[in-house]
Amino acid sequence: MTALLRYQAAILLRSHRWIFPLIAYGLLIAVGAAGSSSLAETLDWSGAMLVPVTAFLTRAMLTAEPDAARACVAAAAGGPARAQLATLIIPLGGGALLGLAGVIFDVLTAEAAAPGPGSGGLLAKLTGAARHPGIVAGGLLIALVCLLVGSAAGALCNPPLLRHPAAAMLSTLAAIILGLAADVSPASAAISHASAQATGPLSAHWPGTGALLGAACVLAVTWGISIAAATRRDNWSQGAS
Amino acid sequence: MRADMRGDMRLDAVGKRYGIRRPWIVRGFSAGLPAGRLVRVTGPNGSGKSTLLRVVAGVSRPSAGQVTARPHCGYVPERFPGGLPFSGREYLVHLARVHGLPGAAGRVRVEEWLERLGAASYADQPVRSMSKGMCQKMALIQALLPSPGLLVLDEAWTGLDSAARGALDAAVRERVAAGGTVLFVDHDPARLAGLEDERWDFGSPGQVTVLAGPAPVAVSPVVARVERVTIRLEAADAAEALERVRAIDGVRVISVDVEGDGR
Repeated sequence: MTALLRYQAAILLRSHRWIFPLIAYGLLIAVGAAGSSSLAETLDWSGAMLVPVTAFLTRAMLTAEPDAARACVAAAAGGPARAQLATLIIPLGGGALLGLAGVIFDVLTAEAAAPGPGSGGLLAKLTGAARHPGIVAGGLLIALVCLLVGSAAGALCNPPLLRHPAAAMLSTLAAIILGLAADVSPASAAISHASAQATGPLSAHWPGTGALLGAACVLAVTWGISIAAATRRDNWSQGAS
Repeated sequence: MRADMRGDMRLDAVGKRYGIRRPWIVRGFSAGLPAGRLVRVTGPNGSGKSTLLRVVAGVSRPSAGQVTARPHCGYVPERFPGGLPFSGREYLVHLARVHGLPGAAGRVRVEEWLERLGAASYADQPVRSMSKGMCQKMALIQALLPSPGLLVLDEAWTGLDSAARGALDAAVRERVAAGGTVLFVDHDPARLAGLEDERWDFGSPGQVTVLAGPAPVAVSPVVARVERVTIRLEAADAAEALERVRAIDGVRVISVDVEGDGR
């Protein structure tokens, strides 16, 4: 499995397909940091933006490897299921790195959201965040929920389930919007639950347990479907259906 | 190695179709793939040869039936378009690792095979910029370097220069001599002519027939004579009868065709 993960990670890195999601995420969290009034609110936004970014990073990975190369790897790895699992894990890991970087960025740029003694300096911001670990931990959990929802959206709306590029991109977009806006989505549930709880700028935003469990379930189901499709579908005879 | 422990590889009533409303490409196909067997798969274009090879290689799962005791497999697809962001050498080192040959062991094999197929001089070129023949060599090397117990070649000779075609012929003979199982498709009837033990022929759609090749089928010395008998069973419990036939000493069930609604 390590060899498979290394291979897939190398494809993602060397194909430069990670650059667009990285830039998009950077711009999105910069906008969020500028428009939010508290650290907790900024973290909500950064977490939410992981849904589209992880979904498109997953799409980037799922479309990076030519079908014939996939077949060779599937035979070498003892089955397409393991190869597909590795293909899904890598963008999830990439999204996790982005999410982590986003949280760190938010903490460092937070404007007096958690005012400490002599606010302004980098150290002061860090100690400020350290005095309110709940805010940061809550932000990380929200990011986790959104990461899982984004990965699920990407897995469900792209090859091998949806092979036609236009259909795949449009449904990925639709899944992202649903993931962020629909009440049933764990991501939107996590964020609305978090902000509903908040009583002031210094209160932590926590996603509900339901949202965490829901996101894990959604991920398991969508990954399962994607892996099952990878073992059953043949690449060439499917064409663009 | 694994094949020895688990017995011979077998296909049992294997069927494949791409969707419930799609036609069966292969249906009710049973065959044994013991160690050291060389099988040529024949049939016209579009008859399902590639699909069957992919099922045998484990690249796609059969829709019905099962494949058991598959040894470690090297698979060469029909076309290997170079859309990978690596050089040839980097790609092969990655694949060696996936095949379970990490580090130096993998590198040594990669260099050996690059040399054998005459591809060492352009192995550092990006796969993207390689010609069809060069790409085909990369696909071949990744399949051959682990010395797989099962080698599946889907028109692997096309696009190769004559030296590489000869090297591949030799590699196939080596694999078979070392107890590996090799399945291949090639439209040149002269390819490995006279060497194959069996021919799997796609006749009517979905039906594959096993035919004896020119090479004598290896049989245990107790069975002095080989006869092929076709038995037609018109019964609902045909599977049970088939099991009893299979249990008879010295009898090998070569192929099973299911007629009518066998679902």
